[in-house]
Amino acid sequence: MIDRLLGLSSWSLQRRESAAAYMYISPWIIGFFLFTLVPMAASLYFSFTDYNIIDSPVWVGLKNYVDLLDDASFWQSLKVTLSFAMLALPGTLVFGLFLAILLNQDIPFVKLWRTLYFLPSVLTGVAVVLLWVVIFNPQVGVINNLLKLFGLKGPGWLHDPDWALLSLVIMSLWGVGQTMIIYLAGLQSVPTDMYDAAKVDGANMLRRFRNITLPMMSPVIFYNLIIGLIATFQYFTQAYIASGSVGDEIGGPVRSTLFYNIYLYQSGFKFFEMGYASALAWVLFVIILVLTVLVFKSSPLWVHYEGELRGRS
Amino acid sequence: MKTIKRYPLFLFTVLVVLALLVSPAIAQDPVTVTIFVGLGTGTSPEQFEPQMALQERFNASHDDLQIEFFIVPHDTSEDQLTTMIAGGNPPDLVGPNGISTIALFLDNWADITPFIEADMFDTSDFYEASLGLNAYAHVNTGLPLGLFPSFIFYNVDIFDAEGVEYPPADFMDTSWTYDALRERAMLLTLDGDGNNATSPDFDPGNIVQWGYDDSWTSAREKIAPWGSDRVGSPTNEDYTVAIANNEHWVRGLQWYSDGIHVDHFIPGVDGIAAYESAGIGTPLDGGLIGMFHSHTWYLTELGFDGIDFDVEIAPVPFNPVGTRVATMHADNFTIPETSQNKEAAWEVMKWLTSPEQIVDVCLIYGCIPARMSVAEEFRAALEANFPDINYDVIFESINYLDDPNHESWTPQWGRMEDAMALAESKVITGENTDAQAVLDEANDTIQALLDEYWASQ
Repeated sequence: MIDRLLGLSSWSLQRRESAAAYMYISPWIIGFFLFTLVPMAASLYFSFTDYNIIDSPVWVGLKNYVDLLDDASFWQSLKVTLSFAMLALPGTLVFGLFLAILLNQDIPFVKLWRTLYFLPSVLTGVAVVLLWVVIFNPQVGVINNLLKLFGLKGPGWLHDPDWALLSLVIMSLWGVGQTMIIYLAGLQSVPTDMYDAAKVDGANMLRRFRNITLPMMSPVIFYNLIIGLIATFQYFTQAYIASGSVGDEIGGPVRSTLFYNIYLYQSGFKFFEMGYASALAWVLFVIILVLTVLVFKSSPLWVHYEGELRGRS
Repeated sequence: MKTIKRYPLFLFTVLVVLALLVSPAIAQDPVTVTIFVGLGTGTSPEQFEPQMALQERFNASHDDLQIEFFIVPHDTSEDQLTTMIAGGNPPDLVGPNGISTIALFLDNWADITPFIEADMFDTSDFYEASLGLNAYAHVNTGLPLGLFPSFIFYNVDIFDAEGVEYPPADFMDTSWTYDALRERAMLLTLDGDGNNATSPDFDPGNIVQWGYDDSWTSAREKIAPWGSDRVGSPTNEDYTVAIANNEHWVRGLQWYSDGIHVDHFIPGVDGIAAYESAGIGTPLDGGLIGMFHSHTWYLTELGFDGIDFDVEIAPVPFNPVGTRVATMHADNFTIPETSQNKEAAWEVMKWLTSPEQIVDVCLIYGCIPARMSVAEEFRAALEANFPDINYDVIFESINYLDDPNHESWTPQWGRMEDAMALAESKVITGENTDAQAVLDEANDTIQALLDEYWASQ
């Protein structure tokens, strides 16, 4: 009927199917062009300009990219982001796997435990960050008051430049339920007869974990690593809210939480240097791309796919 | 054939004549001046209705001119304004704007000097010092609307409990210096065992009450009163040389640093966290601060009804060079350079700041009217809301404002403020308590920003 209305009835079945497919995906394609590709192309152009949003952009060539090299805040933001990635990413991957293994055991109320551990990852955003700000409060926060019970004086957490980043790393574990649930799904697909055979062969728990669980889970670890890597380099909201709660300095104290995206935001929307911010965005894109490619390139060395034969595609 | 050709010509002629007849009527339609509110105050729900009433009053009294308040959330107001200007749809009037907001967008405001000259507009009724707050060599951004002088709020009960003399309200009393403030503040600072900060038994790790706090001011505001020739500006007059490490600012920041880390009468980051936890939102509320430096707008922030102690106000102290600088916040309305209705906006600006309207406008926005002639009228209105406050301190403080102001424009204003905020953060957190070193570093950064700016001009 629709074919007739659109005058497609004379088309071959294959052409009609193709047309239907394109029609079905067209909302996404249009959205991608309008809201992703065009803005990306525009930001690439702006990255070569001096653009303050209000006046017309002025072409400056590579100046914004060259200026980055002499910008202490750029290097600081890169350092903060990389430090966070090196602490938070392994933390989330390891802790998530640890929880998943625990919750994959045959224990009473396992469904309840799984729900309880997953629940925090459902609650995200500003409200959770503000909750953590109170938890980290050096005077009335839960953590320092617990430490006080043992006669220990807790640090200043978000108020202390030496502890602020670590506070955010701890805070990032709040969302570990997401990683855990993916691991859990992976664990449940590991054939139990492998473990049974290993037990018969006398393999202890550690050995079973190293020789069965880890290889079988490596594609899932790989997936979580890629997703986590990208998310870590796009870290913004938590740091923005948390640093804003302890003073006027964005990314404070003393720039200890000046994440790359916070500096990007600051350049674009506080300093009104949209051209420079665009250059920052493209450098970030390249960094994430290079790291992702490196992880992909390294994957044949440590990711094991069931049924895969090495050396054959 | 000839008739057919002539008919459209005849029709066209008729239409042109009709258009010419109608156009004067169209030209007489009132011009609507859009007032963008959001960059400063004016966005609280309780301010909506009074602004609408103001709009109705203006519109009822003008046939050729109408105003329309366009109120946006404060958090997104900067983005919204820049988008409107960039999109060729600027508002006609923007405000109330603080000095920092005007500095942030300085290149985008129209100069009102030609309007003042064309109208021979009399500015003598405005506080003289206020006229310079938002006027730069190349642009006068707007008529002064409201002022927010600063002074010391103090908790009378804490002074009484410790038997410490109140800060003097007399502006002529030259004994009221930063040293005197420090001495009294140390006597008000107590540890958990009740020892004050001058006692050898005082435990700085267990402070429960602080003598002085200045945490709601920016880096530049903390050191602007210390006697620099350029007062609140980190550059020389023509903005080519950074002077952020001048001896006066260094002395001021060192006094502040020592106040936190050596004498302990100013709360550092831990202290701020403590009193914020104890309070109900503002530093003085918690009853843990003896003296607090802030502006008139803090009168409403404090919320006198919710506190169970007496509050009084006193002038800021004299600095080591023997002058007094009471830092000032100020509001005005500005006309975007790209506005299509600049002359109409100028008329509205004059109306809003006229002696007949300025009291009502300032009551909406919580500022002291910038016109001297309405001081008594406004004082009476204030006293109704906040009785038992020494209003002489408020009005007298206007005469000691900081010029150049601590929020005044410099090239690359946002990055300069960021450099100063970093310096302040280092001192407050104890990352570096040496004011000279911290300000030397900030000065280098600011000089680099200035050099870059002038190289690009």
